[in-house]
This record gives sequence, C-alpha cells and structure tokens, in this order.
Amino acid sequence: MSKTENFDVCVIGSGAAGGVMAKELCEGGAKVVMLEAGRRVPLSELLSHKWPYELPFRGFRGEKQVPFYQGDVAKSIAYADSDNIAIDRVRALGGRTLHWNAVTLRYAPRDFKEWSLQGIEEDWPLTYEEIAPYYDRIEQIIGVCGNDDHLEILPAGQNYLPPISWRCSEHIMKRATSAMGIPLIAVRKAVLTRPYDQRPPCHYCGHCMDGCDVASIFSTPGCMLPKAQATGNFTLRQNALAREILVDREGLASAVSFIDTETRTEQQVNAAVVVVCCSTVESARLLLNSRSPKYPTGLANSNGRVGHHLNGHLNESVIIYLEELEGQKPSNQDGATDHVYVPRYNHLFGKTDYVGGWGFQVNYSSYMFPHQAARLQGYGVAFKERVRKMQPGYLSFGSWAKVTSDNRNYVTVDPARVDAHGIPTPVVHFRFSENDHALWRASSQSMMEVSSHMKGTVFSSFGKAPTGFASHEVGTVRMGKDPRTSVLNSYCQTRDVRNLFVTDGSCFTTSSEKNPTLTIMALSLRAADYIKEQRKKGEL
Amino acid sequence: MERRAVLKLVALAALSPKLNALSNDAMRDMESAQGAPAATAYTLQFFSEEESHLLDQLMEMIIPADDHSPGAHEAGTHLFADLMVATSDPAVKKQWQDGIRLIREEAAGSSLSEALHKAAANEENPTTDLERFFVLLKQMTVNGYYTSATGIHKEMEYIGNTYLVAFPECTHPEHQAPT
Repeated sequence: MSKTENFDVCVIGSGAAGGVMAKELCEGGAKVVMLEAGRRVPLSELLSHKWPYELPFRGFRGEKQVPFYQGDVAKSIAYADSDNIAIDRVRALGGRTLHWNAVTLRYAPRDFKEWSLQGIEEDWPLTYEEIAPYYDRIEQIIGVCGNDDHLEILPAGQNYLPPISWRCSEHIMKRATSAMGIPLIAVRKAVLTRPYDQRPPCHYCGHCMDGCDVASIFSTPGCMLPKAQATGNFTLRQNALAREILVDREGLASAVSFIDTETRTEQQVNAAVVVVCCSTVESARLLLNSRSPKYPTGLANSNGRVGHHLNGHLNESVIIYLEELEGQKPSNQDGATDHVYVPRYNHLFGKTDYVGGWGFQVNYSSYMFPHQAARLQGYGVAFKERVRKMQPGYLSFGSWAKVTSDNRNYVTVDPARVDAHGIPTPVVHFRFSENDHALWRASSQSMMEVSSHMKGTVFSSFGKAPTGFASHEVGTVRMGKDPRTSVLNSYCQTRDVRNLFVTDGSCFTTSSEKNPTLTIMALSLRAADYIKEQRKKGEL
Repeated sequence: MERRAVLKLVALAALSPKLNALSNDAMRDMESAQGAPAATAYTLQFFSEEESHLLDQLMEMIIPADDHSPGAHEAGTHLFADLMVATSDPAVKKQWQDGIRLIREEAAGSSLSEALHKAAANEENPTTDLERFFVLLKQMTVNGYYTSATGIHKEMEYIGNTYLVAFPECTHPEHQAPT
C-alpha cells in the first residue's frame, strides 16, 4: 500500500466497535482502511483445547492469553493515585471479541436517564427507544441466544436463538433466588446454539475466554471482517499502531499517522472520515496525543473533557459447593461458561441509600481445576477425598456493578513516558466514590444472602474495598447533551471536528450494571448509519 | 497413557446419541495433541537432587496415593515446583530455599511427617516462617497435582474439554424451582 493512499474512511481498532463500523461502511460502498495495532491470530495459535499439562507453566502464567496481549501493551500504562483497578488492552485483530464470555445485554430505558430518575450523573443524549432498532439489528447480525423474559430492567429482542441448557447447579440457584423474589433467567450471549450465518453452533468446551476455535462465539474476525472483505471495499493494515490523527488547515481530520510495528517505520493513510475504536483508554490516549497548533491540548478536547469520566464495573465473586450435588459421579459441566444470568433486582425491594445496581453472572469459569483445593484446610488422604467429592457441587457467581461517572477520574498521557515506539503512554487516575463503596457493600452482602439460601460450603473473594473494572471500562470520550461537559453528540461525532467519530466504550455517558459490548456495537451501528447518510448528503 | 484414556472416554461418550459426538477433525486434533512431558525427561533447574527428593516426599504426604488414584509423586509435582521456582524472581527462590532448610531442621529432631504436621498447624493464620512455608508448599502441590494428567483424569475423573453436539440439560425434578 502506498503511504499516500486515500480512503473514504479510516477505522482505527478492530474490536466490537471497529468491526461493525467497517462492515457497515464497506457494505454501504465506502472504501475503508482498518488499522489494527496487533495481528491476526491464526486459529492454529489458539491454545483453547490444550490441557494444562501440555503448557509450560500449566496455564498459571497466562500462556493461553499470550496471542492476545503481544508486545509491551501490559507495561505501557501507569496508575497514579488510583484504587485497585486494572485496564485490559488487547493487541490482536478482533480485540477483546477474541476472548470474551460474550454476554450481550441491552441497557434499559432507565439506564439512559440517571439524572432524571436518580438525580446523579447526567442523562444520555439519546433514549432507549432511539437505540432499540440498532439493538435489534446488531443482535441479528451477531447471533444471540436467550429469551424475552419480559423484564423492564432488561429489555429483549424478538429474534433470539434457543437458550443454552442449564446445569443442575443453575436450577438449584434458581430455586433459591425464586424463593427470595429474585429473577434468574437464561443468559443472553453471542454464542450460537444452532448453525447461523455460516457459523457452526457451540461445542460446549468451556474455553470461550481462550478464543473460540470454530467461531461459534461472536468475534470481529469470525463474523464482521469476512463481510467487509467480501465487498471489495476493505483494506486491513495489521501491526499498525496509530500514533496521531492529523488535521488539515480547516481543522478537519485528514490522515492517521501510524507505526508499522514490524518494520518500525512511520506511515500514513489519508481519509475523509476517521472513526476511533481503540477501546476506552486507548482512544482517549490517541486523541490526547493528536496535538497541533490548532488543537494544542489534543483533538476534540476544546473543553478539556477528553480522558475524563473514566468508569466501568466493580465486581466480586463467590464459589459454593452445593451439598446436594457433592459426591455425585463426575459429569461434563464445561458448557459455554455462563448459561444463566441474574438481572438487577435491588430496585425491586424498595429505596436504597445508594444509587445503581448489580447483576450476577453465573458459572463463568472453568470446571477443570478444583478451586476448593486451594481453600480447604488440611492435607493427606482425607483432604484429597474431600476435594474430589466437593467438585460436582461447584457453582460460582459474580456481581457486576455500576461505577459512577465522575469528572475527577481520568486518563491522561505522559510525554516523558513513552512506549517501545516512542508514543506517550496513558496514565490513569481513579478513585471509587462513596456511592461505589456503598453499592459494593450492598452487593457483597446480597451475594452472601443468596448463597445462604443454597446449602453448601461458601468461599468468597471479598476484600476490604472494591476492585475494577472487570474489562468493562467506559467513559473518557463521552457523548452528552451539554457541549461544555461532553465530547460527542449522540451519533458519536466529535463536536470539535465533524469528520471524527469515537464509537467504542469511551463514548458512554454513564454506566449501568450490564455488560457494555452489545451497547457499544449498537452505538457503532447507529453511528455508521449516520456517517452513510452524511456522506450521501455531502456533509462528510 | 493418560491421553489414550481420555480418548477412550471421549470415544465411548460419542456412542451416546444424547450427549456427545466427536467430529473427525476434533478426534484428529486430540490425537495429535502433544502429550504430557515425561517426568524422566526433565532436568532439575533449581533444586538439588536431594532437595527435590525431599519435596517429592512432602508433596506426596500432602496429596498421597490412595485407593482412588495416584498421588503427587506419580504426578511429578516436585518437578513442576522446580520449573515454577526456577523461573520466579529471587525473593520467591529465597522463600523456597529457606523453607526447605527450616523443614529439614525441624525433621532432624523428629521425622519428616512430624515436621510437616507442625508446619501445617496454623494454616489459616500462619505466624512462623515454617507455617508460612507450608502454605506455599501446599499451594504449589495443589497447583501442580490438579493440573497434571494424573490429577485431572485419574483423581478428578474430569471428562470435559471436548466437543459436544448438545449440552446435557439438567432434568432432575428435585433441582427445579417450583413453578
């Protein structure tokens, strides 16, 4: 590819947001170049089905994750004045869609109206009704299994694939939660339960987080990019680490400068529209690193809000060994990780002294390793036998809870601290709020109450303070109603630069307890439609 | 031998129309999978022969062979420990060197089993270096044993990590919530 080649659109990043954006724009006739900092991971490199004893360190040193986190990405981030949080940044074609549990939940109407209904944060600049058609479309594109459970807190579509069958432990959990008035439903996730869109159904190996070797779970390379490629309008640049978005004399985005990490040369693509989909922290980093005489504090940052309002999820987990299942003959319980979900329920039980809620993901970790062995006291024959007999009773669940959006939590860049390619690295500043602490205490207490309704041995992970973000970080380049406090309009278009869009999790106005990916994809799809319309009108 | 046993289990399961079916591709993948490295091929990288032998004895006491399955010795857990410690930072290496010295000193006045018994006396809230070493030793034993072919297949009789055509639904009436 020539260093001066021109494209209609440059999409930076190939995760959930970038994949749908590239597919839609290519199908709409635009010439699209996608820049991905990592490379395509061949299926032959996935270690999903490897046994621990076939790995050098039995998997304890993240061997199965190595294909997704290549390079110095883990090191090139700093946490200053921060509570206990961690931020994932994948460097591979497909981003985090390569290894995820694929839980795909719609935000509820109330999740877009925190200010109007709860008196905190602010309302989104769009409503559930405006995004609902895009939820419908994206669910059809990616294939989602589950049911319409007729819950106000978790709106549903009408075209789900059949839900995944439940394990014994999940029925037992529903028995307990039903007695408490808490709903427990079939999970909604982007995992195929029948052949769909030329992809095979799940084979229930339990290795979703290690990469799916047959593309039964949604991923950008397995679902979106083949469609983009088929149009003849798609160009992919792998190992292309974006350094800076360049602007023309009018202040419009005109090109993206990137490092080819293989040749270590700096290159450039020109584009009439630039869409940033690098993930929450990386997108803010790219805008802040894109400084010019016209934009001395970074691109789209005239109000100083780029990087601010970082938030995500806080979470805890519990493991229970159910007495009524202990001692049973071993059976294959791997499945597709989560099979059920407990939607937010705290709002059903009256007013609380905090705002927000949590949901429970259930059985999202592997059944292969007996976690109780690391927790039970003692040793010898009795210990060994106890570990074995407890294993069929294994049930785990975790709370994923809302973290409040706050201007004081932010990411910036440190020009003095650069990565292996000389690009300033992100520095995160984050503190949980009083509300976050109260929500964390309440969710932890509720987890123990639910556990106590199931007879068994309980182990919890609870520490002395909340931790985050469970790979669900959002904020930093927010959409909003008020131009003084937000960067984007409701179409993910930056207010300062009309041909610049940001459609990943960083565009969220506020967070809810739901996993963000489906909403990221729906917003990206909506933005893609808007870009197509604007291009037709000659506005872009 | 372990892998063959697993393949046999999987092949047997494939005969069940309700539960499992293994595709030809999947079977080829399974058969071509690299087996567990033979214990005899491993060369110690950190512990001396004598230290490794001591660890082998201690780990077999923590997870011993019994009527159901072999223990930590057959699983080669002491060799897993050698690899993990050899590739750890100096502080971890020192913990293991000090721990082995402490338990050896304790055993000199009694026996290895009595020394282990003393080390394990306060597992939940260890206060001495010997007690802290037991926690370290047990964790390594657990990690090594339950990720070995012996621990996964013989002891836990794990039959997952395979290809199913459908996930078996729980249909036990006693587990269901009242409707």
